[in-house]
Amino acid sequence: MLISAQQAEFTAERAAAGAAPAVSADGLGCTIDGRRVLSGISLEIPVGAAVSLLGANGAGKSTLLRLLSTLVAPTDGRLRLFGFDGSRATAALRARIGLVGHQSMLYRDLSLLENLEFFGKLYGVPAPRERAMHLITRLGLAGREHDPVRALSRGMTQRVAVARALVHSPPLLLADEPFSGLDASSAAALEELFEALRSGGTTIIMASHDVAQSLRLSRRIIALRAGRVVLDAPSCSLDAEEVLETTGGGG
Amino acid sequence: MNTLRASLLLAAKDLRIERRGYQTLGLVIVLGVLIVVVLAMALGTGGAGPGPGAAAILWVAYLFGGTLCFEKTMAVERQDDALAGLLLAPIERGAVFAGKLLANLTLMFCLAAVITPVGILLFHFDLSAAPVRYALITTLGMIGFAAIGTLFAAAAASSRLQGGLLAMLVFPLTLPVVLTSTQLMLATFDPARAQSGAAGLSILVAFDVIFLAASWLAFDLLIEP
Repeated sequence: MLISAQQAEFTAERAAAGAAPAVSADGLGCTIDGRRVLSGISLEIPVGAAVSLLGANGAGKSTLLRLLSTLVAPTDGRLRLFGFDGSRATAALRARIGLVGHQSMLYRDLSLLENLEFFGKLYGVPAPRERAMHLITRLGLAGREHDPVRALSRGMTQRVAVARALVHSPPLLLADEPFSGLDASSAAALEELFEALRSGGTTIIMASHDVAQSLRLSRRIIALRAGRVVLDAPSCSLDAEEVLETTGGGG
Repeated sequence: MNTLRASLLLAAKDLRIERRGYQTLGLVIVLGVLIVVVLAMALGTGGAGPGPGAAAILWVAYLFGGTLCFEKTMAVERQDDALAGLLLAPIERGAVFAGKLLANLTLMFCLAAVITPVGILLFHFDLSAAPVRYALITTLGMIGFAAIGTLFAAAAASSRLQGGLLAMLVFPLTLPVVLTSTQLMLATFDPARAQSGAAGLSILVAFDVIFLAASWLAFDLLIEP
């Protein structure tokens, strides 16, 4: 019932804003501890797009994702998500965003199921336990649902982190190197899931170091260098070498 | 999700984590008992003992144990950036504060339930004169103390300054609550000081309201992912 109220609030706001892009950034900048991490980021990402953020370590990919997730506020510029002020970060807006971060954002002493059920309840998911089990099965973790997270391997934990970000079926998924630590079969399963989400209309923005994978999975590549966008082009028009050259060697 | 439900959900999560290994409670109970035993040995348990002053000694144990509870319950959120997961959720940040406060209070009540009988035994402290009033004063004192402790545990965890910083911040700020509670307990169990009792209880409630409101409002500004 609560998620319905949030949904209604969001739908009303969305109707007022018209068919807005998922992300609209204009001159976005971010300074952390006196260091300029992002500068002059201007981009527009339509609903349903699959975008990869590439760049060397320290290029600003993770900060940009945290900024788009509303966890970090921009120090300058304007951010709109689905047409609404990103700096306000209302509950209705946050309910539309899923973030897979560098760290798992999970509780080590709780089981997979308890973690996902907890976050499902926080997001007002109508049947959180069923939703959690669905995701656990979908990500190939069935049978391990009662294991505490601390007992899982790095790759399994990463899959649970993805499940946590998807527990409320967000229309915008932000993923910071979601494939790191996954073995080949897990990575393939996750690629398949991302493809299904994209087909279903979910906007996916993914930071990665794997240029070849990004070119394969995404329709658009945005490359960052020293906190600035240095490349923004359809993936079909690019090759891996060109991207590596633009980003200064970083994926 | 409304704030009350979210707060209860968060507190239940913290207590469920605690039940997995009793890591916090085990530690604070051992610390609390040690404080009481050491002070009992230092003051001597024979003869009249500290009398009503035993209430003040118990408060010292509650305070140090409570400070550890605040640190431990926030440390859970720091591991693996779980706090970011909470701050991303469509709940008020005040719910995170209230959830942590409820969990901390529950742990402090458990601590009190164990070390108060130890204090009664060692100090020959006669609680039977006013057990309900003792429980009321302890509860009110703990609410004010836990409100400030929960706020600063979150602030300390958000900064690079962790560990001992919390006690340095919390003890001076909660001095009014601690002093009022101690004076009230002395007034309850020492007939010579009985006059100041009623007014003191109102002051304690007023401090609780101020500390709760200020902490609730400040939490939003201090907590960072």
